[in-house]
Amino acid sequence: MFRRTILSSVAAIALSAVALPLAAQDTLRIGVEGAYPPFSSKESDGTLIGFDIDIAKALCAEMQRECELVEQEWDGMIPALKARKFDAIVASMSITEERKRQIDFSDKYYKTPARLVASKDADFEGTPEGLAGKRIGVQRGATHQCYAEKMFPDAEIVLYGSQDEVFRDLALGRVDAQLSDSLIAQESFLSAEAGADYAFLGGDHTDVECYGEGVGIAVRKGEDALREDLSKAIAAIRENGTYAEINDTYFPFDIYGGRPAGE
Amino acid sequence: MNLLLEYQSQLIDGTIMTLRLALTSLVIALIFGLLGAWAKLSANRLAQRLAGAYTTIVRGVPDLVLILLVFFGGQVTLNNIGAVTGLWSYVEVSQFAAGAGTIGVIFGAYFTETFRGAIMAIPRGQIEAGISCGMRKPLIFRHIIWPQMIRFALPGFTNNWLVQLKTTALVSVIGLQDLVYNAFTAGRSTGQLFTFMAAAFVIYLLLTGISDLLLRAVERRYNRGVVRA
Repeated sequence: MFRRTILSSVAAIALSAVALPLAAQDTLRIGVEGAYPPFSSKESDGTLIGFDIDIAKALCAEMQRECELVEQEWDGMIPALKARKFDAIVASMSITEERKRQIDFSDKYYKTPARLVASKDADFEGTPEGLAGKRIGVQRGATHQCYAEKMFPDAEIVLYGSQDEVFRDLALGRVDAQLSDSLIAQESFLSAEAGADYAFLGGDHTDVECYGEGVGIAVRKGEDALREDLSKAIAAIRENGTYAEINDTYFPFDIYGGRPAGE
Repeated sequence: MNLLLEYQSQLIDGTIMTLRLALTSLVIALIFGLLGAWAKLSANRLAQRLAGAYTTIVRGVPDLVLILLVFFGGQVTLNNIGAVTGLWSYVEVSQFAAGAGTIGVIFGAYFTETFRGAIMAIPRGQIEAGISCGMRKPLIFRHIIWPQMIRFALPGFTNNWLVQLKTTALVSVIGLQDLVYNAFTAGRSTGQLFTFMAAAFVIYLLLTGISDLLLRAVERRYNRGVVRA
């Protein structure tokens, strides 16, 4: 282990010769995901689109700062923030106690409840007893893993790298149910062809320990000025109608504290 | 199919990134491989030990672990060094440098063994014959060792290169937009992951197929005048 550390340090120092100098201090770099529609996804020409992307841009405009969006895969999101690859994360990241030990969050910019999804013909209920021995698919490292493990201790929790894979394996029958954001489930699965035979199972899940206070913007610990600026900017765009405008582009209802349609 | 045409610029950009990564890391791997083979075969004990440690460590650790260690750990280490010494305030390990550098160093270890084996396959008598004819070391290397080393190393080289080309897919974890990353994002954005994975499959097969053809031509060239047993 010690040798490996030395080796990597040597390699890193060698690489620093080709490393880029710091981008201008004024430019705020924001980490985004690009594979979580409708919050963030990619157009055919590589342009990033989605609710998170538009919110990030609106906040930058509100704070009057130059911004650069940096794409980062979900698994490396927090390490990259801590390694200063970017200064803030706008990627539908829920504010949780566990994450707060590593990073700080702005105020929430939206909050939707989590719900289970299973086949329409499911002969079990969305309760800890009903799901005992069943396979539940959730996205790894996300809030849903925490909640599923806590709430359904007798079920088999199957972990995936991305939400899309969870839906795919549900459709393939490899898991009996899945737990995710209700809005995501509605928009990218239940209303799509693959999800035609599936439905929500049971009601809302809003455990504060796992799901926290909603979705916020993550910053490194100690960056209090930036965190407060972001919270103020969120309040400002809620106030001046920019938020509503972006919200209406993607959703038929207000997701700031809202629930999915058709309930 | 229409979806693939629509997203073709993403796939092409990804393919170019994959090739750039593979070729850059190949150059690094060849340099490390030649140096490593030279060190392992040299009479210098220190060089032998260093090269031994290099191949043992690098070949013993998963590629992904090393890539993550350099990309995230490396940057934190560098910035900590900067903060302690006050020499620099912030440096960034670029994704491309971290990816190409790490893969190059990893495969340098495999090439070390390939080249070492190839040099050892050259009959010792030929080198002794060179010495007895009064040839100096550089001349022996150019005329006796190099051409035969290439010939003996080529099958192993082809093997390493094909694995290396595919290993570049690991860099999508650190956000480098290679073929796999772009195919994944396009697949997830459109909800047609299978279509894009199939496209990536075909593109990788094309790249490896073309490499195989080219390398076989090179092998024929270096095998001229050699009678196969």
